[in-house]
Amino acid sequence: MNTLDALLLISLLTALASGLGQGHRLIGWITALLFSLQFVAIMVMGSLGYGGAVVEASISLSIFGHPVSWRFDGLSWFFALITIGAALASSIFAAGSWAEDYRKHGGKPGLLQFAIALNVFTMLLLLASGDLLTLFIGWELASWSSLLLMMVAGGKAKNFALRYIVYATGGAMAVLAGLGIIFQLTGSFAYADLAAIAPSLSTLQIVSLSILFVFGFGIKLGLMPFHLWQADAYAETPGPGAAFLGAISSRMALFAIAVVLVQLIGLVKLINIEIPFTFLSFRDLLLWVAALTIIFTTFTALRQNDARRLLAWHGIGQGGYMLIGILLLDPLGSAGGLMHIFNYATYQAALFLAVSAVIYRTKTADLNQLGGLVTRMPLTFLVMLIGIIGLAGIPPMNGFVSKWLIYRSLIVEGMPLLFIATVIGTLGTILSVYKLIHNTFLGQLRLEHEQIREVPWSMLLPMLVLSTVVFVTGFMPGLVLDWVVAAQAALGIPQVAHHLGGIESAHGSLDMIWISGVLFSGFGIGALLFYSGNKTKHVHQLDNYAGGHFLTADTRYHYTNNFYAGLMHYIGSWYRNSFQWLESSLVSVVSLLSGFTQILFHSFHPALFLLITATLSLYFFAG
Amino acid sequence: MKKSDLDKVKIKQIPAQKRTNPFANVFDEFVGFCRSRSMFMLHYCTGCGAIELPPAMTSRFDMERLGIQPMVSPRQADILLITGYVSIKTLKRVILTYEQMAAPKYVIGICSCTVNGGMYWQSYATAKKLDEYFPVDLYIAGCMPRPEAVIEGLQQLMQKIKANEANSWKQYYKNYDYFLGNQQHLFGNNWQTPTDVIGEAETYQLAGPNTLGEHTKILQSVQTPLKPLEMKL
Repeated sequence: MNTLDALLLISLLTALASGLGQGHRLIGWITALLFSLQFVAIMVMGSLGYGGAVVEASISLSIFGHPVSWRFDGLSWFFALITIGAALASSIFAAGSWAEDYRKHGGKPGLLQFAIALNVFTMLLLLASGDLLTLFIGWELASWSSLLLMMVAGGKAKNFALRYIVYATGGAMAVLAGLGIIFQLTGSFAYADLAAIAPSLSTLQIVSLSILFVFGFGIKLGLMPFHLWQADAYAETPGPGAAFLGAISSRMALFAIAVVLVQLIGLVKLINIEIPFTFLSFRDLLLWVAALTIIFTTFTALRQNDARRLLAWHGIGQGGYMLIGILLLDPLGSAGGLMHIFNYATYQAALFLAVSAVIYRTKTADLNQLGGLVTRMPLTFLVMLIGIIGLAGIPPMNGFVSKWLIYRSLIVEGMPLLFIATVIGTLGTILSVYKLIHNTFLGQLRLEHEQIREVPWSMLLPMLVLSTVVFVTGFMPGLVLDWVVAAQAALGIPQVAHHLGGIESAHGSLDMIWISGVLFSGFGIGALLFYSGNKTKHVHQLDNYAGGHFLTADTRYHYTNNFYAGLMHYIGSWYRNSFQWLESSLVSVVSLLSGFTQILFHSFHPALFLLITATLSLYFFAG
Repeated sequence: MKKSDLDKVKIKQIPAQKRTNPFANVFDEFVGFCRSRSMFMLHYCTGCGAIELPPAMTSRFDMERLGIQPMVSPRQADILLITGYVSIKTLKRVILTYEQMAAPKYVIGICSCTVNGGMYWQSYATAKKLDEYFPVDLYIAGCMPRPEAVIEGLQQLMQKIKANEANSWKQYYKNYDYFLGNQQHLFGNNWQTPTDVIGEAETYQLAGPNTLGEHTKILQSVQTPLKPLEMKL
């Protein structure tokens, strides 16, 4: 039994233990402990992150004569590390006081832990897949287990989860069709066979395969125009579950795209395929889909008034950055894309947990019902501050490094319009995360929140650890770039030259140790001026200027509603809910057709229809 | 409270004191210079004098060449500019705003109305002399003063600040009882603002024998103190 067997076994054990021990009071802590064992196991496999040899699992099965095997390379290890890390943080957060509170309000914390554990297990199976059949099995298992996690909350969440599974099934069908084509061409599901015939594929075959796989996997990623399901489904999941889903779940699509499209079929061919009557290559089309995903979803996030939805919409947009990075294929861009997966997971988990902490204390995530919590929950504020600096991609946090790499690569590769598109996306991000922190933590503290205290340590610990990771990997991005380079090597992309502080490149280098040093010495000068000045006197929040009005505690002077009214004056009319309209009209058409079929079936001879269907299927299978 | 009792307290202008240490002297002068060249102005526009400010601020007379800019909040403002007659209702707001400004702060009264009530002398609802309620550094008389006069007045204020003579804001802390008495005379004994002036006077070590008195006693008996929100874990 090698380390990969051990990891998968512990993961299975975690799922089983949390599934069987539902009612037990300590099940949360036991699951968290088992997750930390998984974390140890992934750490033991650490050499993979530094270019170690591929680890093959000793278990393998055979389905209809096709081998199903598992193995870990640098790319799988990178994704698995993020998965287990996110699960561990969420699990610890959900284990202590949060679980008690959740149970008191009619929730099932044990079920949540089980759902997370099951997700991790199925995602590890997906990440470890050693051939296309295993990949598809893992993909389906991961899809259905994330359905379970989305349905934990019940109620409205169930509808959103069902909406997800409709999309996901469509995607799965596309992937299956793609696999069918590949099987027809090669006669096997092995990676090597596909890679062998890839150079001889015709343009039509490549385009149809790419469309099928991008469509199939892209649905999970929330690529336009299939992005509608994600935000609602993630946001309605209970806090820690949302943190896990938001951090890593939809990134599985990037893993699959990277393996199938980049590693096996080869993107270089897509670059050479021109779309007729346009000046775009096929890859440009994908890049622009990703860029539009960034812009549309980020500016949708800007309009959200629910903290969880705001974050969930950002999750879709940030996926666009990662896809752009990976599709760029050059050392800088692909490093940026891969690194963004790690960076994004760290701060998104921290942000979701911080929002859950706020919900835990105030029972609301409505951005119009909060405010001024910084004096009551200063550590949660700090976590959110670090998280949003990361999400907005501002130094010295890690989000800056990966976005810098992507921007730099876009400029170097000569794609200024895409660069502008990503910058517009970042602008929307900065605006909306400011709204998030302002409406939650700054401004006026409400009367009903006067007595609130900071959340307990079991909840603070994972948040603080995550935000420390956000800062440390921003200060020393080389730590993550080592793993990214191993993942690049596994994908067969040229690797980026790096050091502890950042990037060494002929087109401009980045050294975050210097940047952070300059930044903090600036802060130091400011602090010196501030603390060497006169004594300060704190004033009450009602001792505030409101155009000369005398403020009382029941006066709301915290500006939250219709945030960015000035901006909306210009861009508000562009929000037309076209995609919502498209989706609902498709739903209407389908339900009309199904109703029509039902009438047909019931009013004529049902037996006749059955006979026709049975004959046709017999003919199809036998003939 | 009779009005005649209040007049007994005389406000004296404190001449600028030079410190004995020459280095401290240079530092004070440097600070005075910097302060005089960079001022944010909160214009509390009452009455007709406000109409003279746009030309004073914009390109024709260009206040900004002197380093003076409008500011939207009293917390960051240095100058409180009151541009006309102040009704009793407005005066409450002006005092609230004045107390919220951070020291050092300077008050300028524009137009005759701020000096002695002007054409509103006979009005029952207008405060006649502004400096009975809080210290005023400078009056610019006229009905209304032209922008040149406004600029001239601002330049005089700059000279005073440069010479470290514009210290009237300290009077508010040192003689708080007197000003509060006048305010109570006008607004009644229930008068209070959210600002803890006495606490500030103690924090900045400006509390003197005239800070507390019978009027502050009345204030303290009716006041509901606002404790600042402390960070707590």
